Amino acid sequence: MSSQRRTITDEEIRELISKLQTLLPESRRRGANRASASKLLKETCSYIRSLHREVADLSDRLSDIMETMEGDNPQVEIIRSLLN
Amino acid sequence: MHATKEFNKKGFFKQFLLGLRISKSFTTNPISIEQRKNSIKLSSDLAMAFARGRTHWTRALISKLGGKEENTTMLKGIMGRRYGILMAIYSYPLPHQKVQRGKKIVRSYRFCSGANKRRALKGSCNRVSPSIVARNLVNRRTKVLKRLVPGGELLNGSSLLSETLDYVISLKAQVDMMKSLWKATQISSSRNVELDPSASCQGRKLLMLANSKDEFQLFKKS
Repeated sequence: MSSQRRTITDEEIRELISKLQTLLPESRRRGANRASASKLLKETCSYIRSLHREVADLSDRLSDIMETMEGDNPQVEIIRSLLN
Repeated sequence: MHATKEFNKKGFFKQFLLGLRISKSFTTNPISIEQRKNSIKLSSDLAMAFARGRTHWTRALISKLGGKEENTTMLKGIMGRRYGILMAIYSYPLPHQKVQRGKKIVRSYRFCSGANKRRALKGSCNRVSPSIVARNLVNRRTKVLKRLVPGGELLNGSSLLSETLDYVISLKAQVDMMKSLWKATQISSSRNVELDPSASCQGRKLLMLANSKDEFQLFKKS
């Protein structure tokens, strides 16, 4: 993506912000539009951090599972047992 | 606005499973638990970035991961003979992009907070402008966000927002897919469990993906 300057409309910015809000878990509970810039930023940052933690946690769990698996092809093992 | 995640799920699974297979093959050499965990996380991050295609944050992420020496074996295993080309395609930053130091923001923040402190110490009536405080908070939090989003330090304003949105969507997808893969292993380990039809349908899909030899079809598409 080129980083050349182009004017971005207020409408587009509003759209981005509302999309971001719908993603954040907090806003779903409250429902109302409580957007203040700093609140939005804070929730976004904490959400990203929690997603990072989840990925790390899932990686740990998957690596534990992989240890107990035999053979070189873990996915074939998983799928074979799913289909059986 | 963004590519639908349907295509990305398929791409992600292919990449991730390939990465898992490679991590598994490392077990022949003495490998610590830490290293295995890191290689799985690495596969997952790479799968997420490659499945998304070339965006600002994916280039930043892949370059960062590729820059670490301990990761090169893994990357070369996943990318094969396309390692050189892919690292060039995903190079970051581009020559015309420079890392902003954000001096302006820092200066005004220091100035404002210093002025506020002096006012507080003097004991004079509180003339701290709420707009200045709010602006400082926004600036500080923007800095934090820039650190969290790959490539964020080069972006500002609306670009930062749209990259953040894209990144969060991809992270969510990554978590969901890893969760479903993990659930699949849980089902497989308890062989007494009665399998419902949806599970075996998902299994068949995964089997098709795993057997496909064309590992980098998705690059031709993107």
